[in-house]
Amino acid sequence: MRRAIVAFLMSLSASGIAAAHHSFAAVFDGEKPVQLTGEIVSIDWLNPHFHFTIDVKGADGAVTRWRFEGYPPNMLVRQGWQRDVTLTPGKVVTVDGWVARDEPSLGAARWVTFDDGRKLAAGPPSGTGGR
Amino acid sequence: MRAAANLLAAAAVVLSTIAAPLAAQTAGDRPVPRAANGKPDLSGIWIATGAIMLFEGEEAFAAARAADTAAGRPFGNANSPPPYKPEAEAQRQRYLARKGVDDPMALCLLTGVPRINFRPLPFEIVQLPDRVLMLYEIHHAFRIIPTDGRPHPEDAEPSYLGESVGHWDGDTLVVEVESFNDKTWLTGVGSIHTEDLRVTERYTRDSFDTIRYEATMEDPNVFTKPYVINETFRLRPNERLREYECIESNEDLQRIMQLINGQGPGAAP
Repeated sequence: MRRAIVAFLMSLSASGIAAAHHSFAAVFDGEKPVQLTGEIVSIDWLNPHFHFTIDVKGADGAVTRWRFEGYPPNMLVRQGWQRDVTLTPGKVVTVDGWVARDEPSLGAARWVTFDDGRKLAAGPPSGTGGR
Repeated sequence: MRAAANLLAAAAVVLSTIAAPLAAQTAGDRPVPRAANGKPDLSGIWIATGAIMLFEGEEAFAAARAADTAAGRPFGNANSPPPYKPEAEAQRQRYLARKGVDDPMALCLLTGVPRINFRPLPFEIVQLPDRVLMLYEIHHAFRIIPTDGRPHPEDAEPSYLGESVGHWDGDTLVVEVESFNDKTWLTGVGSIHTEDLRVTERYTRDSFDTIRYEATMEDPNVFTKPYVINETFRLRPNERLREYECIESNEDLQRIMQLINGQGPGAAP
């Protein structure tokens, strides 16, 4: 297993294989993971990445609007997503991902967990491409 | 206690003798399909093994790599990092330091060869008697590879995917690609080349559900010796090619262009 993981990391660095479209590190920081729970505001089911925004309430009650980027629709469908069904405004979700290098409230989504416990892959792992 | 252990061991032996023939009947042991001319038929929808991570998760990916190792299928770079001359390597390092913001793919430009075969999206091979078609989900790109003995076209313009001509070497489809432009990267970030690039690809369907793939990249302007990369493509019987459109809402393009235009880390290479 360990060998396979090393081999996987090697194959990533060799070919940038998991980057569908651009190097992960071009925009996001794989060293800055983030987990946020918030209410869905909007969803843009578009190519080459889908985006969604969530309102996250901080400990002080202040609301921050986060924007997340993920897979294109062709990959979302393969991961079990349905447009206009899986993610709809008002739903509360938990997003696991990474923060952008230059924009404080932008993130790359890896997983979205729904209030019924269901968890779907929303985007690729970090570290793809130019690490 | 010892008797129980012996019993368990005996049970394990019995189970494994039962399980082995069952396992032997998986798709991996179905014969390689053949075309009318006797050559292996590469037709089908395939995906690079590296992408199994995204499609089926870490365990399936690890199992696929373990199967590759057991079958002696190489993967990754035979000589990593790419065997660049000092100047080209210095340029690659500059691109790496800039974290890949200069990736031509991020601008939605066509991905070249062999990189397009490594994208985490499936591609379909359609093998016809006189040519092989490669249909890529990414960018909705395609390659037409004549296998009827014709040479490379004489009027070829430098292009992203180059001009491909194929022939059979035993059971291996060999594709010679030339007439590239210098606007693509070969494998990972900063893997630059010039218009003198020549790529030789070898596709060997070594089992029903795998193609052993090797790409040899030669470019005397940047390499000290041929750059070789290997991967296994896996059959995706239940897959169909879907649409992938690159510029519809490429939000990152704006961010990336700002970085390219000097507002990002490091100076432009």
